[in-house]
Amino acid sequence: MFNKIFGLLTSMSTVFKHLFKKPVTLEYPEKKIIPPENFRGKPYVENCIKCMTCTKVCPTGAITIEENEFNINLNKCIFCGNCAYYCPVKAIKMSRDYELGVSNKEELNLVYDIKRGSDNV
Amino acid sequence: MNEASLLKLNLGPQHPSTHGVLRLILELDGEKILSCKPDVGYLHRGMEKMAEKLSYIQYLPLVDRIDYLAGFFYSELLCRTVENALEIELSERVKIIRTIMLELNRIASHLLWIGAFLMDLGAVSPFFYTFREREIILKYFEKITGQRMMNNYFVFGGVRRDLFDTKDIEEFLSILPSKIKDYEKIIDRNPIFIQRTKNKGILDPETAINGGITGVNLRASGINFDLRKTDYLYKDYDFTPIVLDGKDAYSRYRARVLELSESSKIIKQALEKLKQNTELRQAPVKPIGFKLPEGEYYSQIEAPRGLASCYIKSTREEKPYRLKWRTGSYYSVNLLRKILKGTYLNDAIAIAGSLDIILPEVDK
Ligand code: SF4
Ligand code: SF4
Repeated sequence: MFNKIFGLLTSMSTVFKHLFKKPVTLEYPEKKIIPPENFRGKPYVENCIKCMTCTKVCPTGAITIEENEFNINLNKCIFCGNCAYYCPVKAIKMSRDYELGVSNKEELNLVYDIKRGSDNV
Repeated sequence: MNEASLLKLNLGPQHPSTHGVLRLILELDGEKILSCKPDVGYLHRGMEKMAEKLSYIQYLPLVDRIDYLAGFFYSELLCRTVENALEIELSERVKIIRTIMLELNRIASHLLWIGAFLMDLGAVSPFFYTFREREIILKYFEKITGQRMMNNYFVFGGVRRDLFDTKDIEEFLSILPSKIKDYEKIIDRNPIFIQRTKNKGILDPETAINGGITGVNLRASGINFDLRKTDYLYKDYDFTPIVLDGKDAYSRYRARVLELSESSKIIKQALEKLKQNTELRQAPVKPIGFKLPEGEYYSQIEAPRGLASCYIKSTREEKPYRLKWRTGSYYSVNLLRKILKGTYLNDAIAIAGSLDIILPEVDK
């Protein structure tokens, strides 16, 4: 019996000690989190040479390349980074942007100009 | 006993203690469980069929999702099977980096389990403490691999980028023993916890072996079977597999806690080695036209939830002809049929929780 009470008390005291510690949670929407440098967020394209490697390594078929347009459909993209890793000229970069919420699904279809690389969404 | 007095009860599929979506169809006589039928498949994503449609390189990022709590192990498995087939020799640094990541992942997975298991039993605070520690590991993963859970860090013949900063991990390893002591203080001697787990869900070694149970669950039944002892990645490390002979839910819990320190022992040795092997050499892999020679390939690894293995049959095409996964949890779910029979409903959660079942691994 004494043993049991003692066991409970040690549990309680450990929990109690934590009461006075600083919180470890992040206040995300109020304070923005800056992800690390290698973070795999929204992909950007610049100076693509149209070798088509990325379309073949992408597991979800999110990338389509046309005459002058480079499309990444973020509805399909799983942010695996295969395209960026296997691109021979490192034309695709995974950025640190992670707040990708939009009100219209179409906006997630990124269209890049092959030469300029500008995002003309 | 007449039929009419029996009660059929659905436990799940959205029960908070099933760690995913598992439905248990229980037949009850009062509080006593007469039979249990697990109903799986709610999380089926066709992981094996998908492999037949994708090239090896395309498939590699997806395998992290087989067990999202221990994704590194499945990445490693697929890489290992492909490397075996192509007879790629890994450089020493790659091997060490992989060992570090795998063991960190094992610690993260066990930490989550400890928290979730206690939550199943109604204790809420340990959940937050273990998650706090797990967060450090996930932050580190994010820093190195770019993502917290779907790491996609291993590639055929190497790793995506070098392990450039190990300070966080050294720090984490130095605080881990005190944190483990904290858990032990809260949990181990707590009479409520002991009452709910001691001598509950007895898994005798024979049933375990016949049921295909591996990993911690088997070792907590007194059988010394740890694949890491024969694994080539762990060849030069000094560690002892945790073998307890309590056979009950309590010793399964203890075994996992003890494994935390065992894993950190391996990581410490690996970090030492990392300093001596500074040259990172990747085997070149061409992204297009990547093929395996014809044949059947198999490899296995000690994952946190038991033996996991990967089988590939290749017909010299860019895609596997057949790819099969063996996962530990699948067998644990099946064991519920036997282990829950004759127990009481209020123990069912504790017993099922103690087996560390994760459903994406079962349904694949
Ligand atoms: S990150 Fe992965 S899924 Fe997304 S476009 Fe690149 S290869 Fe495809
Ligand atoms: S982005 Fe890179 S991999 Fe894709 S087509 Fe352009 S150059 Fe080739």
